[in-house]
Amino acid sequence: MSIVTVQLGQCGNQIGFEVFDALFIDSHCPQRLSSKRENEAYQASCKERFFSEEENGVPIARAVLVDMEPKVINQTLSKAAQSGRWKYGQHSSFCQKQGSGNNWAYGYSVHGPRHEESIRNLIQKEVEKCDSLSGFFIIMSMAGGTGSGLGAFVTQNLQDQYSNSLKMNQIIWPYGTGEVIVQNYNSVLTLSHLYRSSDALLVHENDAVHKICAKLMNIKQISFSDINQVLAHQLGSVFQPTYSAEGSFHYRRNPLVLEAGKSKIRTPVDSASGDLMENLVPHPEFKMLGVRNIPQMSENSLAYSTFTWAGLLKHLRQMLISNAKMEEGIDWQIRPPLPGLPNLSKMSLNKELHFNTSIANLLILRGKDVHSADLEGFKDPALYTSWLEPVNAFNVWRTQRAFSKYEKSAALVSNSQFLVKPLDMIVGKAWNMFASKAYVHQYTKFGIEEEDFLDSFALLEQVVASYCTL
Amino acid sequence: MGRRRRRVDPADAAGALPAAITALSRALPGGPSPETFRRAKFDRPEAAPALWRLLFHVLSPRPADDAAALPTPEAQARLVKSVLRSQGYPRRALVQLPEDGSQGSRELLLALSWLLARGPLLERLLAQIRVRLGDEMPVCECEVLASPGPPAPRVEADGCVDIRHLQWLMGKLRFRWRNLITSQQEHCALLGKVHSYTRGCHSDRSLGHLSVTEAELLRDPEGGRQLLRRLESENARLEAALEWRRRELVFWQWMDTVLDACPPEASQPTFLPRILERGAGELELVARELQALQEELQAVVEPRRAAWEARVGGWGPGWKATQRASEEAVRQELTALQRAWERGGGLAQPHGPHRLVRSEAGTLGGPGLCATEVIKALRSREACLEAALRQLQGQCRQELARLVGALPGFIWILPPGC
Repeated sequence: MSIVTVQLGQCGNQIGFEVFDALFIDSHCPQRLSSKRENEAYQASCKERFFSEEENGVPIARAVLVDMEPKVINQTLSKAAQSGRWKYGQHSSFCQKQGSGNNWAYGYSVHGPRHEESIRNLIQKEVEKCDSLSGFFIIMSMAGGTGSGLGAFVTQNLQDQYSNSLKMNQIIWPYGTGEVIVQNYNSVLTLSHLYRSSDALLVHENDAVHKICAKLMNIKQISFSDINQVLAHQLGSVFQPTYSAEGSFHYRRNPLVLEAGKSKIRTPVDSASGDLMENLVPHPEFKMLGVRNIPQMSENSLAYSTFTWAGLLKHLRQMLISNAKMEEGIDWQIRPPLPGLPNLSKMSLNKELHFNTSIANLLILRGKDVHSADLEGFKDPALYTSWLEPVNAFNVWRTQRAFSKYEKSAALVSNSQFLVKPLDMIVGKAWNMFASKAYVHQYTKFGIEEEDFLDSFALLEQVVASYCTL
Repeated sequence: MGRRRRRVDPADAAGALPAAITALSRALPGGPSPETFRRAKFDRPEAAPALWRLLFHVLSPRPADDAAALPTPEAQARLVKSVLRSQGYPRRALVQLPEDGSQGSRELLLALSWLLARGPLLERLLAQIRVRLGDEMPVCECEVLASPGPPAPRVEADGCVDIRHLQWLMGKLRFRWRNLITSQQEHCALLGKVHSYTRGCHSDRSLGHLSVTEAELLRDPEGGRQLLRRLESENARLEAALEWRRRELVFWQWMDTVLDACPPEASQPTFLPRILERGAGELELVARELQALQEELQAVVEPRRAAWEARVGGWGPGWKATQRASEEAVRQELTALQRAWERGGGLAQPHGPHRLVRSEAGTLGGPGLCATEVIKALRSREACLEAALRQLQGQCRQELARLVGALPGFIWILPPGC
């Protein structure tokens, strides 16, 4: 089972590179604790997902690079080639001379249709290299022009053309302070369009990752590269192979879906107890996913630290319910609402204490003694919405194979209320601008009408309302 | 019914009946001993459990699996009764048998004979357990659709169910469906690889390449021995079936005596719809009769319709619009039906599993189906079903819109992706 990654725009291409690099380095990093055989299975599984047949021994990323300016693509291609570890395919990129000027409408309505066929062919060629395609991972920013506008267009195209394949969009949420004046317009348009064509929106907030770099990684001058590396680390800790079922030692073939394991030709794999998309985003109104991970620190500190599963999971659970993005500065005052309280008071209580209610969570544990970790804290019904039982809302993946240099590590992918506030903020700001008709003509000029804006507002307000009343 | 009466040499008759029953027993899945049949004639209770089990195997939608645990006698009896009823078995005495499986051996013997006499039972059972050497693919799902399948799990909801929970479950189902399609595609891609890599390896020129099972045989000799054993047991059953065919006459004569021993049941005429091969002349006759009837109907309808229209003429334009709309709907449905009929009638729908054989374009000869044609037929069927689905969805949407319209001050926002 393979995943084709589509890297769009400056942000998507830079992150894409870091993700492939993190995946590759981790799967080749020396492991004292796992057997040779286990390491080989882990490597093979990672390779099947993200890399294709090697050319002269160098694996090739299953990726398509798209940007409207050549600069970043050229940098990305050469960085990969220079690494000597892996590279991009020779004909896997598409670029033009002229960007989108941070105008979503230009990316969506001009670049999109104009280059539709070239991009489609590029993706098709990559798909044909897979024995079996599990889905697409589309990396893009939310607030700019090319990544977001063209990204929404490409996602829609993928939905039309590969309607049965899974589509997950990795979206970068802009800094609250904002680099671009129309970023809220662009964000509203991106999110609303993806809500219609994608299966899951995995969101990373620039602000949150920036803080992780400053506080946990102790980086003084934070660059985009630093931010992207943290992000790639989080994604890697989710997407690297895990055992296919509780108590099993086979590696899961497909991180996105349930495994049937019935194919006669391959070794059958046990049916998985849980899988990402099916367990986290089956409801069409709830598609927002966030990732938290623990521990996260600079290599220097890592050498002097030891961890226990109980400690890590206690922190991770509190990060979840208090909606903290990192280990530092967790509010320990926030507690799950008491059971038996009627719904109404539960809601107001949540609001007061900012308790983050989950719809569903997927916990991924990697490292030593992973089967001894106690997960009861995540099976508390108080953590979840009233209409799902914990047995349906919580799943876990494990592997004894450590991730990167962390002897033990945990990542939590959750569909929860974590984005309600930022989303509400963006929609509100965009609405205020729209009410005074500011910059709207820049969009109508390229075919995005006021009606489209109104549809997008309606959809996102509905999403906010749905998440608020869990 | 396939019962032929011929004189049987009385000298053979003594040994012939046990031999016939033995052959039948060996041809059936897990067939009971011939002695069971004899006891069943006298309705002895000790023969009942074995016959319930036999009928369960025969009627169960899934082929008998040695390893699979048998359901309880009650469940077996219930399934046997309900399948027989759905197939039109006429005797009520069977329905009234207790479900603990302890009684009714004669009724069960009658039911089994009814199944045997009625249709290609043995052939169907033998086809089910056939050892499949080739890579097969069903070209239709009619058998799956026709079989009752496992009972749907019933969840009793205590209190009201949150609609979001249902939407969640529906979404899960959708993901599983998509995953199923993806694994099918993977399966096909891998079959394609095996077929093209082994091109020219098969001794049978008309096939040209190996199937997965055949390729496995080359890699794993132990698997080969297992396959041989399965083939041998299949052969034994086939031989028994042939033997049964030669000897069945005597069985039917014996069954007549069993039937005579039965208390007669207040007989209700049973009617099994069965299309018999008759001359085309008879069809012609029926068609002409239909034509005449249609004309007659037309003549009666016209004056009545005129009278009706005159009466409703005064009901205003709203009535007219409704009438036009329903006429339009009926016309559309009729056209769709006609189209479906023409399409279905043009080409006899292929059935059952077929071996997948990869061949060079245009070299396919013989009785096989061409994949592109099957795909074409399936596509048109899919289009029909999709049209029906769209129509139903449209109706639901209209109904929803009507309900929402009844609530003033509400804006209706469709969930994304619907």
